[in-house]
Amino acid sequence: MSLFFVLREGFGGLRHSRFSGFVATATVAISLILIGIFLIITVNLGKFVQFLRSRVELEVFLDDSFDEIKIQDLTDEIKRMEGVANLTFISKEMAIREFQNLFKDKQEDYFETLGYNPLPASFRVKLQDNYRTASGAEVVFKSLSSLEDIREEDIVYTREYLVILEKYIKFAIAIDFIVGIIVCLSALLLVSNNIRLIILSKNKIIETMKLVGATNFFIRTPLFIQGIVQGFLGGIISALFLYTLLKLAAIEIPGFISVDWRIYLLLANLGILLGFAGSFAAVRRYL
Amino acid sequence: MLKLHNLKMRYPNGDGLDGVNLEVRNGEFVYLVGPTGAGKTSVLKLIYMEEFPDEGYVLVDEYSSQDIRDKEIPRLRRKLGIIFQDFKLLDDRDVFENVAFALRVTGARSRDIKKKTLRALGEVGLSHKSRKMPEELSGGEQQRVAIARAIVNEPFILLADEPTGNLDPKTAVEILSLLDKLNARGTAVLMATHNYELVNNTSKRIVSIKNGRTLN
Repeated sequence: MSLFFVLREGFGGLRHSRFSGFVATATVAISLILIGIFLIITVNLGKFVQFLRSRVELEVFLDDSFDEIKIQDLTDEIKRMEGVANLTFISKEMAIREFQNLFKDKQEDYFETLGYNPLPASFRVKLQDNYRTASGAEVVFKSLSSLEDIREEDIVYTREYLVILEKYIKFAIAIDFIVGIIVCLSALLLVSNNIRLIILSKNKIIETMKLVGATNFFIRTPLFIQGIVQGFLGGIISALFLYTLLKLAAIEIPGFISVDWRIYLLLANLGILLGFAGSFAAVRRYL
Repeated sequence: MLKLHNLKMRYPNGDGLDGVNLEVRNGEFVYLVGPTGAGKTSVLKLIYMEEFPDEGYVLVDEYSSQDIRDKEIPRLRRKLGIIFQDFKLLDDRDVFENVAFALRVTGARSRDIKKKTLRALGEVGLSHKSRKMPEELSGGEQQRVAIARAIVNEPFILLADEPTGNLDPKTAVEILSLLDKLNARGTAVLMATHNYELVNNTSKRIVSIKNGRTLN
């Protein structure tokens, strides 16, 4: 048994079968680019949805007659409610500051003109992750409005925004799902076609090896090495391509697309897996 | 020694072998002659155990088709040299590497590989073309490379499946002389052919095969 021969045959085969090797590597790379783009879009879509949902909050306006004890009691009660993540108390003074910040370009000071502060104090209620939906917000709204000192009209939240958001999220997920199926099918077709090509290109060498008395180990190992190297190269090419593409995209839309570096690792590993699967299928066909 | 005893085998299309008996003693030259589709290639495949009979048995040296294990088949094939009509050379490597390939897959040492390969190429008269690629050679030369590859492991028998089928008559005669020469040095030869003219004036033993049955 000569390990040197097996390695030489494996790496030499890459040089000998340059065309089929190139096609195999390119096929793996294209399949992985498709899968990579899909994954990046899906991950970013998920993050965007989370970002939009994180902005969902309910604002409860408080009567000016509430004293500190009352406000503290309400704070404790709301904090204990199902679906509430946290709440922030906005005093009448803070409300003025926010208003002034919001309209700072206007030179006129309305409050000085009025002579008093008309803005009420409020609670801003943030929801737990799984309550950041139209139905989740409705549950919290009902709990808040059932409080003795709070009336329904004192609670404000963007109910319509949430309904529209839900509709768009569902639509985006459906589109993403369909694209995912198309991408996976295309990758599968490309890879199976690639496997057929590998099978055809290896037919002669496997047949000859068998006839001259090569053991299965000697036949399989060089082909596995070739498959793995081609797959790995395909994975690296796809990772480099996506990296460059995202760098260029980041120039156009900075800070918008985020990519976990592990996706590149995943692509390289998937490449190895696809390359190995191709050569495994070819070997299985003839051994 | 090679022995085929009462072989029967059915192909998926319904045809098959129906009583093949053949014995080739060490150092003997035997022609297996029959029309196309008579079962010659199947007989050879049964000898190198690419296929197995439904009935009967094949004995190749110490290996029997009845009890050979899968992992013993490569060892059996190293005792045989096999030549085909279409040469089956690897076109991604030169003449030397094509011949050396048969030794490399057995895990032979590089020193032995070089010595034995050059000797085999010398036997077929192609030492001077060892660095040529197969496509740079004529059909006759390619078949001689295939023969060198077949003999490099010093088999006790050469199985030749229509080895002259793709060659012009003059080159065919050259290949036959080469097989004769190898036989004279002690290697048995079993050559399958449909070319009756080729064996008309031979003094060698001829076994006819027709409709999957041998007629002695």
